[in-house]
Amino acid sequence: MDIEAQKAWSDRGWPDLAVWRARAETPSLAREQPYLDTLPALITGTLLVLAASGLVLAVYYNPWAPYASVQFIKREVNSGWLIQSFHQSGTTMLFGAVYLLLFRGILLRLYKGSGEFVWLGTVALASVLLLTGWLGYMLSGGAVAGASLRQATLSAETWPGLPGLLASWFFGGPHGPGTLARLAVLHAVLGVAVFALVLLLRTARKAMLPAPGAHPVTFHPYYTAQYFVAFTIFALIFALFAFFAPHFGDNPLNAAPANPLIMPINPTPPWFLAPLSAIRVVLPGDAGGVIAVLAMLGLLFALPWLDRSSAPAHRSGFLYRLLVVVLALDVIALGFAAACRPSVTAVILQIVFALWYFFHFLVLTPLVTALEAK
Amino acid sequence: MAGTSEPTDAGLTSEHDVGSRRDFLTILTVAAGAVGIAATVWPFIDALAPNADRNAVAHPVIDVAGIQENTGITVMWAGQPIYIRRLTKQQIADSQNVVPDSLPDPASYSERTKPGYGDIVVVVGLNTAAPCLLLGNEPSEPRGPLDGWISACDGSVYDPLGRVRRGPASRNLAIPPFTFLDKAQIQLG
Repeated sequence: MDIEAQKAWSDRGWPDLAVWRARAETPSLAREQPYLDTLPALITGTLLVLAASGLVLAVYYNPWAPYASVQFIKREVNSGWLIQSFHQSGTTMLFGAVYLLLFRGILLRLYKGSGEFVWLGTVALASVLLLTGWLGYMLSGGAVAGASLRQATLSAETWPGLPGLLASWFFGGPHGPGTLARLAVLHAVLGVAVFALVLLLRTARKAMLPAPGAHPVTFHPYYTAQYFVAFTIFALIFALFAFFAPHFGDNPLNAAPANPLIMPINPTPPWFLAPLSAIRVVLPGDAGGVIAVLAMLGLLFALPWLDRSSAPAHRSGFLYRLLVVVLALDVIALGFAAACRPSVTAVILQIVFALWYFFHFLVLTPLVTALEAK
Repeated sequence: MAGTSEPTDAGLTSEHDVGSRRDFLTILTVAAGAVGIAATVWPFIDALAPNADRNAVAHPVIDVAGIQENTGITVMWAGQPIYIRRLTKQQIADSQNVVPDSLPDPASYSERTKPGYGDIVVVVGLNTAAPCLLLGNEPSEPRGPLDGWISACDGSVYDPLGRVRRGPASRNLAIPPFTFLDKAQIQLG
């Protein structure tokens, strides 16, 4: 069967293939786009690696003996240490890329105009991934993860009313041997469901494509080359983490098994959860902590409306960009403050950095953007 | 590179050279990429394969030197009882004297034992008709008229080589895959 007959056969059975082929062969893309536009594709690739390594881990993971099963994976399973390292370093790369995507969106004000839907989807993706990351951390069965889980399930049991009902339903009751089995399923389900969100964002991002200009080009070879380079550099950094710093951002106290009778002296979560952990000090109590985290993410959702400039995605002024860089440093500082040994200074610093975060979004952003829009 | 329309050259490289150099680079890159992808994917596949522990369980090594003549041991493997028995010289001679075609399921002595290790019989200890355990491996159990094994549920009779001689069963006892590592050790599977 020659190539034309093959094409005719597949087009008859699967008409979309003809549409995609025509679109791929027609020059329709702008001649050059920034390398950071490949971030969504890099995030998708990382999610695929996490899904594959997670699948292999799930085959050997035992939620009823979590610490022992993780040790079994690391010691006994063929290449198990490498699969676990891929999963942990993949998480670091994923959140590095997600935070970079969010930072770039805020800096360049990509949430304005046609990018609004994509921005909301991106923040939703980041939120779901943070929840999935927290669940995955619970599955490690380490001392710090166990402390965090016990605190969460205890709060779920003691809260009154609807929040308590929802939280108790989520955890399936007080902390017990079956809690991790439940969370393991949730972690896997969320990890796969996130691909649906990624696909949604992919279609939505078409609204943000720049105009092709005078000489449009095809995806291949212009953008295949760019994505190839981006993937290679990303994979190189991933390999550096996987082989030279597999415990990056991990709390060393988590290497011990979970023990309900021992509270770790420094229960810092992994680096990508540290800013969220720090912002909890702003409001008192466990409930206050959850409200603070929800507010932190909620402000990101509300950003398109907090930005008071009327013009869609105009070039932001120097002051706004400076403030966004300060915000990034503030979030990093929040993470470091959370990682400090608990002390009065650390708590004061956490409160200061957290208050600056809320101040930036609630006060500075509306003021500065309204000022610069004139 | 925006702005250049044609690759400028001082006539030193022809278009054919440029094309073949690009082809060479493409082939090199694709080959390197394929090797890289294979190296990355292999640990995932290897991790799902049985590790050393599981292989040890899947292919256990049994010590048979301790088995006395005319006694047997029972080993659980792959969910089935495996009977290993050492035959006496009389039992070997009697088995060889039997004409295979006269049996319900013809099989000769050499087909049921491994050459060089002719006094060891390895069979799956399950009746081939109504499924139940065979009696005769433990010293306390009855062995049936032929000093082999007998089925407790339907009365099928087997000889010391595990060939069916009488009863509702019509097939000989199954022989599991095994090898002799040496005179004292058998590896199953």
